[in-house]
Amino acid sequence: MYKTTGFLSFALRRFTGVALVMYLLLHIWVIGSSLDSPEAFNERLNFLQSDLFKVLEIALLAAVIYHAFDGVRLLLVNWFKITEKRKNLFYSVMVISALLVIAGGVPILLFMLEGK
Amino acid sequence: MSENTTQKKAVVRIQRFNPEKDKKPYFQEFNLTYTRDTTLLDALHEIKSHQDGTLTYRRSCRHAICGSCAMNVNGKNMLVCNSPLQEHLTRKSVVTIRPLPYLPVIKDLVVDRTKFWEQYLRVKPWLISAGDDPEKEYRVSPDEVAALNTAETCIMCGACYSACTVVGTSENYIGPHALLKSFLRVLDPRDVGASERLQEVGTSEGVYRCHTIFNCIDACPKNLDPTKAIETLRNLAVKRLAFEEAKKKRYQTIRLKVE
Repeated sequence: MYKTTGFLSFALRRFTGVALVMYLLLHIWVIGSSLDSPEAFNERLNFLQSDLFKVLEIALLAAVIYHAFDGVRLLLVNWFKITEKRKNLFYSVMVISALLVIAGGVPILLFMLEGK
Repeated sequence: MSENTTQKKAVVRIQRFNPEKDKKPYFQEFNLTYTRDTTLLDALHEIKSHQDGTLTYRRSCRHAICGSCAMNVNGKNMLVCNSPLQEHLTRKSVVTIRPLPYLPVIKDLVVDRTKFWEQYLRVKPWLISAGDDPEKEYRVSPDEVAALNTAETCIMCGACYSACTVVGTSENYIGPHALLKSFLRVLDPRDVGASERLQEVGTSEGVYRCHTIFNCIDACPKNLDPTKAIETLRNLAVKRLAFEEAKKKRYQTIRLKVE
């Protein structure tokens, strides 16, 4: 295996992409139950109110943000042919993603703690 | 004693594999002394000449131009003939040398490059002329020459090919080395085979298989940029017919200037 920042970004992109597909299946499982009955929908929604899923929500947020910004990074490189900036852009994506995950994750954590 | 002749000690870890004896590759350590001017290839020569004559590796020109001695040093592909040993030593004075990744190992540091050359031939890396070549040379513009220079200095060492994650996962991928050569010929105003070249590379085995991981750029010992070439080929493959027309006109221009 050839490990570089490019490989790391590729691996993260793949991993978050698969994770988002998994999330979509879960999402359809919950929303799909609303076609059965209000009780079935509430039951599945309650299942997702646990602390574990609150933490996973932060992970979901991180996956969405990284996947989106890494895609934008590739578009910028492809469009403007700025391959020489590839590492700077990757580090920028990581910093932006980290800041946004903190900005979005802290309220989720506070909401989770308030509920206790 | 001057600085460049001061002798220091180093440990060279080499991945060994003899298919006739070994079930799987293993690492062997060799102790040697080096000076400031010792290259990694010098170290391999030292080991082969004085410690273990069975050590097998490729090398030829020792001037970073033949591309024979590309190897994986501390996880990075490079030419060992122009890489100083001391620059690649860890704090414990150890350097690890492996064969190029993603390629079948024939013995020790020698890999089987059959697939590499097969993919290279797929893109017809030679110039396809119109058949009415003039006796004088063509006069192409400085901009065109500058564009071609970004690909022309490739020495076919295989560092980019074996660094590419897609090569490791997709057997039929043409590879950055061949796509760079295709880029060279497609942009060459003297070449008249742009259309068939773009049809060959504009597929899921060509430019659309690249995941823009950039390993090829990081690995290239000549500082070339195969990723940028692949991006250019992607754009040209989309507008192939228009590009073909523009190229025909350009060829007529340079052809007329010769006469």
